[in-house]
Amino acid sequence: MFYRQAAIRHTSYDQTKKLYPIPFDKWLVVAVLLVALLAPFAMSGLYLNSYLLPWVIWSTAALSLNLLMGYAGQIHLGYAAVMAIGAYSSVHAMRLGAPFEFALILGGATAMIIGVGFGFTALRVKGLYLAISTLAVQYLVDWVLTHVPAIGGGTQATLQTPTPALLGFEITTDIGRYYLALGWCAVVTIFMLNVKRTGLGRALIAVREKDYAASVLGVNSYYYKLIAFAVSSFFGGVTGAILAFTFFGAVTPEQYSIDISIQILAMVVVGGLGSVLGSFFGAGFILLAPLFLNNMVTGLAEAYDFGVSRSVISHIPLILYGGLIMLFLLFEPLGLAKIYDNIRKYFLVWPFGFSRR
Amino acid sequence: MQSASSPVQAVESTSPDLSDANLTLVQLVARNAKQHSTGIAFREKELGLWKEYNWQDYLDNVTCLAAGLESLGFQPGDTLMVMGDNRPKLYCSMIAAGALRGKAMPVYPDAAPDEVLHFCKLSQLRFVIAEDQEQVDKLLDLREEIGTIEHIIYVKPRGMRGYQVPGLVGYDELIERGRQRLDADDQLLDAIINRSRPEDPAIYLHSSGTTGLPKAIVIQNRRILSGVLSAYEGERFRLNEEIIAYLPMAWVGDFALTVAAAIALRFTVNIPEGQETVLRDMREAAPTFYLAAPRSWDNMLTTMQVRMQESTPIKKWLYNFFMGLALEREKRRFNSEEPTVIQKLLKPIGEFMVYGPIKDNFGLSRVKNAFTGGEAMGEDTFLFYRALGIRLMQLYGQTESSAFTSTHQADEIRLHTVGKPLPGVEVKISESGEILVRSNSVFDGYQGNEKATNETLVDGWLHTGDAGYLEEDGHLVVLGRVSEVVYTATGERYIPNYIENRIKFDPIIKDVAVFGRDRDYLTALVCIDLDSVGNWAEQHGVSYISYADLSQKPEVLELVQKALEHVNDVLPEALKIKRFANLHKEFDPDDGEITRTRKLRRKVVEERYQPIIDALYGGHLDVTMRAQVTYDTGESGSIERILAIKDLNR
Repeated sequence: MFYRQAAIRHTSYDQTKKLYPIPFDKWLVVAVLLVALLAPFAMSGLYLNSYLLPWVIWSTAALSLNLLMGYAGQIHLGYAAVMAIGAYSSVHAMRLGAPFEFALILGGATAMIIGVGFGFTALRVKGLYLAISTLAVQYLVDWVLTHVPAIGGGTQATLQTPTPALLGFEITTDIGRYYLALGWCAVVTIFMLNVKRTGLGRALIAVREKDYAASVLGVNSYYYKLIAFAVSSFFGGVTGAILAFTFFGAVTPEQYSIDISIQILAMVVVGGLGSVLGSFFGAGFILLAPLFLNNMVTGLAEAYDFGVSRSVISHIPLILYGGLIMLFLLFEPLGLAKIYDNIRKYFLVWPFGFSRR
Repeated sequence: MQSASSPVQAVESTSPDLSDANLTLVQLVARNAKQHSTGIAFREKELGLWKEYNWQDYLDNVTCLAAGLESLGFQPGDTLMVMGDNRPKLYCSMIAAGALRGKAMPVYPDAAPDEVLHFCKLSQLRFVIAEDQEQVDKLLDLREEIGTIEHIIYVKPRGMRGYQVPGLVGYDELIERGRQRLDADDQLLDAIINRSRPEDPAIYLHSSGTTGLPKAIVIQNRRILSGVLSAYEGERFRLNEEIIAYLPMAWVGDFALTVAAAIALRFTVNIPEGQETVLRDMREAAPTFYLAAPRSWDNMLTTMQVRMQESTPIKKWLYNFFMGLALEREKRRFNSEEPTVIQKLLKPIGEFMVYGPIKDNFGLSRVKNAFTGGEAMGEDTFLFYRALGIRLMQLYGQTESSAFTSTHQADEIRLHTVGKPLPGVEVKISESGEILVRSNSVFDGYQGNEKATNETLVDGWLHTGDAGYLEEDGHLVVLGRVSEVVYTATGERYIPNYIENRIKFDPIIKDVAVFGRDRDYLTALVCIDLDSVGNWAEQHGVSYISYADLSQKPEVLELVQKALEHVNDVLPEALKIKRFANLHKEFDPDDGEITRTRKLRRKVVEERYQPIIDALYGGHLDVTMRAQVTYDTGESGSIERILAIKDLNR
C-alpha cells in the first residue's frame, strides 16, 4: 500500500548498498527528522525536558551499547560506568579551562582508553564470564567516584557542570541543549546505520555470529572485539557527558549506578539487538512507559475509587511495566524493532500474503 | 567518432515524423547516437545488475559488427540467421546485417531442428549468429545437412573454448576485427551507415504456419518504419517509452517494437535476465508501454489471483471489495453509463489500497499504453485490467503488414472490436467476408513463393485470410481465419477458434480443441491448466501425482464440465458442445500440436487423437489412449492412459 517498488533497479553494485532503496522508507525518515527538529517549538518546556530530551539521549546511549552487544555480540553490564568516566572527565576538563568541544572528545577518549584497557583483560573470557567481569567495572568505577575526592569531589558531592559552549556560542536555553543532544544522536545514528555497510561492520557481525568461525575466515576476532569495545566506549563516554551537560546539569555517582546499566541493557534487548530503530523504540519504552503507566493509573485511581490503599496503587504501574516487558519478549523475542519489521513487511507485500517464492 | 553524413544531417528534427520512413534503421541509430548519444538504448539485466547501453554504444556495436561481418565475406543479399533469446548484441547483429544490405533472420530459440533446417534451406544460409553454446550445438548437429553454413558467430563464450570447428568466431573477436578496419579507413563508417536503402530488407521472418509450412517474409526498412511511424502518428506510442523485450525475436511484434519503434522513437529497451525472470524483472523495469499476447495477460492474471487466494483475510476482503467495485464500474462504462457516485468516490481509495499496489507488484504502475495482440482476449481478463486502471487496448496486425493494422484508441474501447485502422492504413472487406488491408507497411511478397504472393497481394491489397466486418463507426471486428470456417453435418457454419477462445477464457483451461466438422454435434478435447487447477486441488483437498492423474479426477472433470456449460449458455443450440474429454497432457509445440505462438495446429491434433475423437462421437464412457513418446535419450516407448468422457447437461 505505502511501499511502491516498481522501477527500483540497480546499475552498479554500489547502488545495491543504498540504505533506503524504497522511497517510502526514505520519506518516513525525513518526516521523523522534521518532527524531531520542529518538536521544541510545538511542545512545552516540561515535555521537552522531561520526555523528548531524555529519550534522545538514552536512545544515543542504547545505540552506543548496541554497537557492542548487537553488532559485535559482546555483553556489557557496566555501561553506565563507561558513561560516568566520560561525564566526569569532560566536566573536569572544562573546569580546568578546556573548551566544551575538546572536553567532550576528551571525555570520550578517556572512556575509550579505560574501556579498551579493561577489554584487554576481560575479553580473555566469553559469555557469562564476560558479563560478570563487565559488572566488575561498574563496581570499580562506583567505588572510585565515591572514594577518590579528586575525581568524585568527595562523599555525597555533586559537581555542577559548567555552561557548554559550541564554537564560542554558549548554550543556555532548553532548545539549545535539546539540539545539542539531537546533533550528537544524529552523528551516532548515521555511524550506526553506515557501519553495517563497511568491512568493519561485516567483521563485527562475523564475530557476533561465531568468533572462531570468523577467525577461520581470517577475521581477527580479538582485534575486532577490542575495536568494538573502543568505539562503543567512546560513544558511551561522550553520551555520558552530553547527559550531564544537557539533562542533569551536574554529575553525581548515583546518575551512573548499576540500575542505569541494567536499564540501558534493557533498552537494547527490548528494542532489538543489532537494530538502530530498535534502540529508539527500546529507549522510548523503558524510559517513557513507566511515566505513562504511572500517569494512567493515578488518573484512573482519582476518577474511580478502587477501594485500595495508595501504596498498592503506586505499585500497580510497576507490575504492569514488568508484565509488559515480559509479554513483549514472549511475543517477539527479537524486540520492538522486529514488531515494527513485521508490520512493515505486512504492508511491503500488500495486497499479497507473502513475497513471491 | 566521425559524424554521419548526408541523409542523416538532412533530417535534424528531434521529433520523428513520417518522413523518417525514407531512412534506414542504421541511419536512424546513427542519428540517435549523434543527437542523443547518452540516451539509454538498452538496459540488460546481467548478474542482478542492469547494464546500460547508450545510443553511441548501439551504433559502435552495429558498425563494428558490420565491418567485421563484411571481412568474413558477407555480401548484399546474404542472410544472417539469429538464434537465441532477446539480447542487445543479437539486436545489434540484425541492424548490422541490414546495414550490409543483407537480411537478418531470427528463429525461435526453442525451434525444432526440422524447422531450422527448413528455414536454412529456403535461404541458402551462410552466416549464423548464436547466443550461446546450446544454440551452437544445435546448429553443428545440422551443419552437414544444411551444407551451406560457413561462419558461426557466438555471443557468450562460456563453454566454447574447446571447440575446434572451422568458421566459428566469437562476437567480441569479430567486433575487434571490425574496429580495426574502421580505424584504418575513415571512409568506412559513413559507407556502412549509408550503404543500405529504405527499400532494402530490414528483417526476414516467417509466417506462423498454422495452416502449413511457414512462409518466408522479408520486410523492408520503409515498410516497418512506416508501420511504426503511423502508429506514432495515431498516438499509440509516445517518444522515449520504456519497454521490456521478452517476446520471441522471431515474432514480428518484437521486431516492430523492440527494434523499429525503439530506434525510430528512441525507446529504452529493458531486457530481462532470462525467460524465467520476466515477471520479477518487470517490476524493476516498470515499462511505460507493454505489449503482450493474451496468454501472457492471462498468465499474469492467474498469478495475481492465485497470490490473492493465498493472502490474509483482511487483504482478501479489501481486494474482493475494491475489485468488485472496479469491475462493476468498468462494465457500466462499456454500456456507456456514468459510474455511480459511490464508485467515483471510492475509486481513489481503491487506487491507493488495491489497484496501485497490484500494479506496482507486477511492474505495471507506469504503463501508459498497454496492448494485447495476436489472438482474441477473454472478456473477463480484458475487464479486469481495465478495472485495475490499465489502458489495455486490442491490437490487430499480421507479419505481412509489419504488425500494425488497427488498434483501439485510448477512449474508444469496445470489447468485441479491434478498434479503428491506424492513420495511413486502408481496410475493406471483400465480398467473401475477408479483411483486406492496404498501406505503406504492407510487405512486397513472400520470399521464393510467387504463387502465394499472387494469392495474397492483389492490386496492392493484402488478403489477410481473416474473416471480419467493419462496424458503422469504422471499428473493425475480426471473427477468425477464413480458412477455418467449418460446417457441421447439419450445415451449421462456425469458426472453431472462436469457440475455443471463449472456452479458454476460463483460467482452469489452458488449451482446447473443438471438433465437429461433418459431425452432428460439437465435442471438445480439453487441456487443463496445471497451475490453476493444481491450486484449486490443493484448496479442496484433492490429491494428485501428475498432470495426467489430476486431469482425470472426477472433481476436476466436474469443474471442466461446469466451465464448458457456462460457455454453452451463450452458444446457439446447434453449436452447443455435447461431450468432452480431458487430455492427459498439455498441447506442446515440441510435439507440433501448437505453434510457438501457441496457436492450435488442428490437423496434427485431429490425426494424433483420432481414437479420442472417435470415442467422443461413439458414445463410450472412456477411451484408452496409447501414445508413442520419445525420451530425451532418443529411446522411444509407449504410454497407455484411460481417459474419461463426459456428457454435458446444458
